[in-house]
Amino acid sequence: MLAFVQVFTSGVAIGCVYGLVALSFVLIYKATETVSFMQGDLLMVGAFTGLALNLLLGLPLWLAAPAAVLAVAVLGALLERLALRRAIGQPHLVAVLLTFGLGMMLRGSVASIPAAAQETYRLPIAADTLAIGPLVLAASHVWVVVVTLVLAAALAAFFRHTRTGRVLRACSEDAGTAALLGWPVARMHTLAWALGAAVAAVAGLLLAPVTFVHLNMGFVALKAFPAAVLGGLTSLPGALLGGVFLGVVEALAGLLLPEGVKDVVPYALLMVALLLFPQGLGAGRAARASV
Amino acid sequence: MRTDPAAAARQAVRAGLPWLLVVLVAVALLGVDYALGKATLVLTYAIAGLGVVVVVGQAGQIALGQAALVALGAYTQAVLVRHGLPAPLAIPAAVLAGALGGVLASLPARRLGGLYFGMSTLAFALIVEEGLARWESVTHGAAGMAVPGFEVFGWRADSTLAQALVSLAALLIALAVCRRLLALHHGRAWRAVRDDEAAAAACGIAPAAVKMQAFLVGGALSGLAGALYAHWIGFISPEQFGLVFSFELLMLAFIGGARRLMGAVWGALVIVAIPPTIALLRDALPGDWARAAGLEMVVFGAVIVAVVLLRPSGLTGRS
Repeated sequence: MLAFVQVFTSGVAIGCVYGLVALSFVLIYKATETVSFMQGDLLMVGAFTGLALNLLLGLPLWLAAPAAVLAVAVLGALLERLALRRAIGQPHLVAVLLTFGLGMMLRGSVASIPAAAQETYRLPIAADTLAIGPLVLAASHVWVVVVTLVLAAALAAFFRHTRTGRVLRACSEDAGTAALLGWPVARMHTLAWALGAAVAAVAGLLLAPVTFVHLNMGFVALKAFPAAVLGGLTSLPGALLGGVFLGVVEALAGLLLPEGVKDVVPYALLMVALLLFPQGLGAGRAARASV
Repeated sequence: MRTDPAAAARQAVRAGLPWLLVVLVAVALLGVDYALGKATLVLTYAIAGLGVVVVVGQAGQIALGQAALVALGAYTQAVLVRHGLPAPLAIPAAVLAGALGGVLASLPARRLGGLYFGMSTLAFALIVEEGLARWESVTHGAAGMAVPGFEVFGWRADSTLAQALVSLAALLIALAVCRRLLALHHGRAWRAVRDDEAAAAACGIAPAAVKMQAFLVGGALSGLAGALYAHWIGFISPEQFGLVFSFELLMLAFIGGARRLMGAVWGALVIVAIPPTIALLRDALPGDWARAAGLEMVVFGAVIVAVVLLRPSGLTGRS
């Protein structure tokens, strides 16, 4: 039983990371109709930026982490202004190739730094363990869950209670009407990319103490696609919950099923979900709510 | 279409001339053997690229895991030939494996279309890659396996010329079949679904079935390419058929122009030429930074970005 709870909590923690990446993907997809294949690379750049600020510039972590998130947000906004804007209104393939190419350039740039290409690093965030009775939790896992909850609450507040957040939502719902009403749609696209990049960077910094920082840590973003599909592909809370669900199922599969099955479970779930619940697992609830 | 022999001949010359030029320049620059080896690769890539052209350019759907279908063809061919089946007899099985893979990969999204095809084909590709690495009794797992040469009734295609000729023959057959399909009601249905799904449905075309046909044909072509690729490379392992290969094939179709069948051939030429060009650049550039491991990735990414931004309809398309 104890092992079960232990695996469950680590599944929730890694699921939060999947969920955050999925959320960043859905945020960008909803707002700009752009399919981003570079969220994993933004995640990796976020973790490395935090690491560089901490190790090279000697900034304390509480300062380095937000600075890294901010830097990646600016990077996202810049890329939107320079290149990604051109993919709006084009077929999905254009955005897929464009973001894949930009992601390769980001990964290649990091790989060109010898110190980054060859080693794995630990960020000393929450490196110890928490003991609650007989249950021993990795502090990093608890930290991931707490930060995810705070970030989700902040995003929800932003989308509901601030003017900018509501305009961004309006532009995601119907860019044409929003433009007719005089809202700055193009600026909202930039904002969506900045936010999406920032959320990916947060996911990278949260993942840093769990899997360490290395060049290929962005591959975790592949799991964000099943998470987004489970959440219905256009729902922000759905993406986050889909990620947590995926993380738990994957962890339990690792505990109960033969070796190797764990790695396939997310993608098998994606295909089954498309067959049985094409609108996402929460579709029934949403349909009832709208009646 | 009118069949004026003189005009047809002129057209054939006009179509063939650039290729003659490409071949002559390649032979002059690279030497016969190297050029033939690369030509074999171009022709094989072009067959796989045709599969993407059918799915992406003709039917207007998106396929993010085409490399897995190439892998299915390659592994089917390799396993059957290793068990003593003659290569030409194994090829239909490889084609079938690719076609079946295409259907399976697209099945969950067949009524949803759009991005959902991207998701399901991507998931299928990742499952196949993992499966090939885990099913060690048949595929030898991540260690990969050697593939015997291409042999027909005692004649072995072990010279680069023979390999290039076999690939050329396969490509010409694939092109002819595709051309025929595009002229028939299949191709018209694909284009109708691509241009306006609702209108196509109103005309009595079943979009889900039509899309699945496109994935079936695309998968079959990828399977054929995989079967040949396995022979020419001589050694296959799961990681050769990863996400990067899938994106190379997408880019191939995009660069060549996915609206035309010949786009696959032009795109294949560019894709195969990129790595040696980067290697040449690397040697020509002074200083240490050119030796950095990430340069290739940066350049490859930059080529994709540049093509997408500068020539959104590809090299053969009108922009």
